[in-house]
Amino acid sequence: MELMTPSGGTIFWTTVTFVILLLLLGKFAWRPILAMLDERESRIRESLQQAEKARIAAQQTLAEQDQILEAARKEAQEFLAKSRKSAEITKEEIIKKAGTEAEALITKARREIEMSRDKAMEDIRDLAVELSMNATAQLIGKSLDAKDHQALIDDSLTKLGKLN
Amino acid sequence: MINQIVEHATDQSATLQHATEAAAEHGESGVGFILHHILAHPVIHLPTIYGVDFSITNHVIMMWIISAVLVLSFGIAFRKPSLVPRGLANALESLVLYIRDDVILPTLGHNARAYAPYLLTAFFFIMLCNLAGLVPYGATATGNIAVTGTMAIMTFIVVQVAGVRKHGVLGYLKMFSPPGVPFLLQFIMVPVEVISMITKHFALAIRLFANMIAGHITILALMSIIFIFKNWLIAPFPLAIILFSSLLEILIALIQAYVFTILSAVFISASLASEH
Repeated sequence: MELMTPSGGTIFWTTVTFVILLLLLGKFAWRPILAMLDERESRIRESLQQAEKARIAAQQTLAEQDQILEAARKEAQEFLAKSRKSAEITKEEIIKKAGTEAEALITKARREIEMSRDKAMEDIRDLAVELSMNATAQLIGKSLDAKDHQALIDDSLTKLGKLN
Repeated sequence: MINQIVEHATDQSATLQHATEAAAEHGESGVGFILHHILAHPVIHLPTIYGVDFSITNHVIMMWIISAVLVLSFGIAFRKPSLVPRGLANALESLVLYIRDDVILPTLGHNARAYAPYLLTAFFFIMLCNLAGLVPYGATATGNIAVTGTMAIMTFIVVQVAGVRKHGVLGYLKMFSPPGVPFLLQFIMVPVEVISMITKHFALAIRLFANMIAGHITILALMSIIFIFKNWLIAPFPLAIILFSSLLEILIALIQAYVFTILSAVFISASLASEH
């Protein structure tokens, strides 16, 4: 049967055609395509690895930043607490100092007042003696001696003391 | 696609007039018409040397056209291969990638690079030869036992070369006597292994040939029904089935190219394997 008998000519031509096709496609198609596919695959693999690396690095940086931030926050808090404490101390000191100063001022003022009063008292006493002396002189028309003076002064003083 | 099939059908009905003449030649009308359509016809007559007729048949012409199409399309698409393909390169690359990733790499692994060119060429060549038979005025070169036989011989040669290259001549011959078999049994095992090596490639040729020719015979036989009944009214029924068969043939064309390629890959990997 003709259908099942292979013809030698066709076998020959098929061989020639296929071998030439294989060589041509091997050179112009398969070699560049397969090389390109390999390159693309390696490129993709590299890119993925790089992305993974970058991700890890980013994560590290983020963690570091978090750490730094946390440290800064802690430091700030400590600083705040310290300054608050020192401010408190300063405040108390100032108040205490002000208190003592005020106390000192008051005592000083009081003493001065006392001194002024005493001095005024003295002045008044002297003035009173002089005045009374003058008045007495005028009144008696004669000058009294020192003894009389003293007696008068003492008299006046006792009177004043009583008044006082 | 339907257009194509209708054209295919009309093309075939056009050859029916031819068939009546052929029928006179072959005697029986149906068989003669079908055979006339399937067999190769010489287009360019060349001398016969040592009993071999070197005439260029329509099947040879189809193979040349297909080879030219393949070389041109791949040459144009991958003149400057880029990592990001577009257009034609993208379409062709998807097929190459499919064969490489789903056929060649799983069966051959790290040996893939050496045998990929042969397997890829075989796949594209057979696929286009199969599909060319569905195109109007086309002929199925793979529906010719000489063509499929040659392809099977190619695979056979590649398989032998692969085995010898991997194991050396002696090492490769040793693979025909499986280890762990009693000595006397080797007298049976060695011929069995040799026969199996030949039959599996023979089957490769017959499988492709029979699959390709069966579809055509079915379509042509269905076509003949109209002429046997000599009635217009019967025509829609065979035509509907012809449409279905033609669609099925597209599927079979792709499947058989795939089967041939994957079996070749499996045979190569078997001869590369260190132990049977």
